[in-house]
Amino acid sequence: MPASEGGRYNGKKDHGQPGKTAFRVECVILGRFIQEDRVNRRRLIVSLFVLLASLELAVLTGSVSAGMPGQAPGVSDVDAYCAFGSKTAPLRMEVYSDFQCPACKQLFKTTNQPLMDNYVNTGKVYLIHRDFPLPMHAYSRVAASYARAAAHIGKFEVVEQALFQNQEKWEANGDVKGTVTAALSPAEMKKVQALVDGKTLEPLIDKDKQAGQLVPVNQTPTTVFHYKGQTYPYAGVMSYDILKQFLDQLLSQK
Amino acid sequence: MMQSSPLNFRRAVIWIGRLLLAGIFIYAGYAKLTMGLHPRPAIGVALSFFALQVDSYQILPTWAVKVVANLLPFIEIGLGLLLLIGWKLRIWATLITIVMLGFFFAVVRSYAMGLQINCGCFATPEPLTIKTVLRDGALAALAVLMTIFAFQEAAKPHPWTARQNSRSA
Repeated sequence: MPASEGGRYNGKKDHGQPGKTAFRVECVILGRFIQEDRVNRRRLIVSLFVLLASLELAVLTGSVSAGMPGQAPGVSDVDAYCAFGSKTAPLRMEVYSDFQCPACKQLFKTTNQPLMDNYVNTGKVYLIHRDFPLPMHAYSRVAASYARAAAHIGKFEVVEQALFQNQEKWEANGDVKGTVTAALSPAEMKKVQALVDGKTLEPLIDKDKQAGQLVPVNQTPTTVFHYKGQTYPYAGVMSYDILKQFLDQLLSQK
Repeated sequence: MMQSSPLNFRRAVIWIGRLLLAGIFIYAGYAKLTMGLHPRPAIGVALSFFALQVDSYQILPTWAVKVVANLLPFIEIGLGLLLLIGWKLRIWATLITIVMLGFFFAVVRSYAMGLQINCGCFATPEPLTIKTVLRDGALAALAVLMTIFAFQEAAKPHPWTARQNSRSA
């Protein structure tokens, strides 16, 4: 019976040429493996063990490039004026942000207040604002300068809120100063303007950017969670419910 | 003569698709559970961190994000293993294709919307770029092709490897 007519190869045909037969047997083995319901289970189990070992190796090797422990800056690098909560809080959370980035605004609007109320003010999280003005945004560096200056007179939260809430407005006309002025008293604005004009705080913004490049931060917002020597970098917006679940899981780790 | 050999194009695609997609799925699921960290974080931490990444795509409501994040890594490992084993290949190939097309849709949508997020595909923080879109597209295409060929193969099995009961007298 010709093979092409639906018969099954029985290994007894074509014995005239040993080399050809060996090739055919190999083909049959391979064909049977490909065919569903025909699996060499012993070989499969061995393969699975090898696979799991390879996976472990691959995942651990991958972690080297993932920006893990030891690469991120420590608490000593933090500008205390832009940090909130207790320095001794078990969880440190750094938010690399750009005031002109819409996603940063969204993150601020959705998570900032409940995070402050439930984790920062209760001593569970040490929240650090890191400036990461992107070159593609024309006014984000100016906004970062004003926010940093406001932080140094104890008005960071007010100015941060004003900048994010009026982002579309000052993004369109470039009037960062006007937005900040509207949020502060004349006396406070005078101090802030003096700090901005003096450019003494610019190195702190540069320092934040350098710290971000070590993470590495590729986009804003990027949030880096530090807990018990482990670092968890996360890029993008998140809803508070999901963030809460993650923070609770981290804090419940023994 | 080559047409009658089990090493034809259709079988090669099934073979490559099975190995490649199974490997990627198993690795992706495993990486999500271990996060590539040493020592490994608790599984709850890994799953809740993955939930953040699912959430960043802004497709699903919060409850669905939690369900997907808690199930997907295990589904990936399970489907990968079943695809590798080859038992009931058509079922698992179809499911993997559906999952792959879902990933591709999510990635294309996020890229088109200009979302600045990480892919969340593996343990490493990998920004979602055109490279990610092309990679997922190629894998989805491979999954579709593999599934079609698996159905064709089942409908008309090769004579050398056909079932015992299909043997004519």
